[in-house]
Amino acid sequence: MHPIETLLDSWPKLLDGTLMTLKLTLMGALIAGLLSPGFALIRSHASPLAQAPLRLYISFMRGTPILAQLFLIFYGSGQFRPVLQEWGLWNFFRDPFNCALLAFALNSTAYQTEILRGGIQGVAHGEIEAARAIGMNRLKILRRVVFPHAYRIAWPALGNEVILLMKASALASVVTVFDLMAQTRRVFSRSFDFSVYLWAALIYLCLTAAFVLVWRLAERRLGRHILARQQPRPGAPTPRETQA
Amino acid sequence: MTNQPDVILKAEDIHKSFGNIEVLKGISLEARKHDVISILGSSGSGKSTFLRCLNFLETPTSGKVTVHGEEVLVRNGRPQNARHIEQIRARLGMVFQQFNLWTHRTVLENVMEGPVQVKGESRAEARDRAETLLKRVGLEQRMDMFPSQLSGGQQQRVAIARALAMEPDAILFDEPTSALDPELVGEVLKVMQSLAAEGVTMIVVTHEMNFARDVSSEVVFLHEGRIAEQGPPDQMFGNPQTDVFKRFIAKVR
Repeated sequence: MHPIETLLDSWPKLLDGTLMTLKLTLMGALIAGLLSPGFALIRSHASPLAQAPLRLYISFMRGTPILAQLFLIFYGSGQFRPVLQEWGLWNFFRDPFNCALLAFALNSTAYQTEILRGGIQGVAHGEIEAARAIGMNRLKILRRVVFPHAYRIAWPALGNEVILLMKASALASVVTVFDLMAQTRRVFSRSFDFSVYLWAALIYLCLTAAFVLVWRLAERRLGRHILARQQPRPGAPTPRETQA
Repeated sequence: MTNQPDVILKAEDIHKSFGNIEVLKGISLEARKHDVISILGSSGSGKSTFLRCLNFLETPTSGKVTVHGEEVLVRNGRPQNARHIEQIRARLGMVFQQFNLWTHRTVLENVMEGPVQVKGESRAEARDRAETLLKRVGLEQRMDMFPSQLSGGQQQRVAIARALAMEPDAILFDEPTSALDPELVGEVLKVMQSLAAEGVTMIVVTHEMNFARDVSSEVVFLHEGRIAEQGPPDQMFGNPQTDVFKRFIAKVR
């Protein structure tokens, strides 16, 4: 079969899978994005003892394969079915999508926390001091000074993490989530037409390319002050002004 | 004594230790309205630390700071009424050696930030005053730029405008010209001089002897964590009383 025919034949399934992949990736990244600022603050400010549980969680998430984490949640929850039923959680764990989302969100939270911690620790101390000196409370200082800088510093690395997560989301196909990878395999298993894998690869490539573009635009917006420095000064200071 | 109406800032018996080293060994200072107090001292004398204790960027080990009736007493490194600290900070402007402007905000936004975020002013009101202040320090052409696009002297003038925007009772200057290229020192001193002439209360840690002698109303000389000598500049420079201060002015001249 001609590759174009393959695509014409299978596009509804591939589209379905693409939407599922997007849903899984974006929801996972978003949940991690909501959890990571608080964790990153604990990592950068709390006493070593207070952050010990968090460190343990992070080293587990970063130190074991994401596939193992997925199996642990998906098959592990089956082992504890009676308990989970008793707690009313079985309905959640019965759905493989939920298991995959949980695994990806937990995994990405660990990475995003560490990335953002680096950003927070990179904020110039003098700017924080200026905010304290003007009378801002802690929350204001975080909102107005620390996080704007921390996200700008962490932004490229965070984008990287989301891309890695998108590709890792193909693992969800192993636990019967019908994402792009699973749909592709399904098409292949019926037609034995290898070209469907090429189409899938192309779709993944387009997704990441589009994401990179959006991320870069956002980076530019966040980093206006850095771009400004790289441009020649609009009108270098006149002698009169220098004296003023 | 505290109730004298024109006393704006009062520091009583400020002690500060870092570990076992006592940097400040009991310093008291009073600033009245329109005072310009220059704090001199060789490096390690504790002058910057003392200034930073006034708005609690450093927490004193013990002592008391009163600004506009807001009082914070510190015992054993613990402030007794810590919630007054933010109010005191809002009433005391601060200008740093390294400017410390918020680099992700424009010049105008830097000056508006305090009034909007801390005092809850409307943006329109804050913008009006910020524009006036930036004009006053000669930077009306630079309002929409980012700090990184300005020279050091310009940045420091923005920092002064930022402090003024809070309409503070007094402004603390921590070696405001020490990080500047020599040819940029003048523009900052000129602004400070004009503030002094307008009656802004200032406490200035400085190495600029000319500023201390010509502009300030009072000079305080710190030596090894204590006030060694204190008085009006004419008397201090014309007829120094202590050997340490004599040696100091001989060295810096």
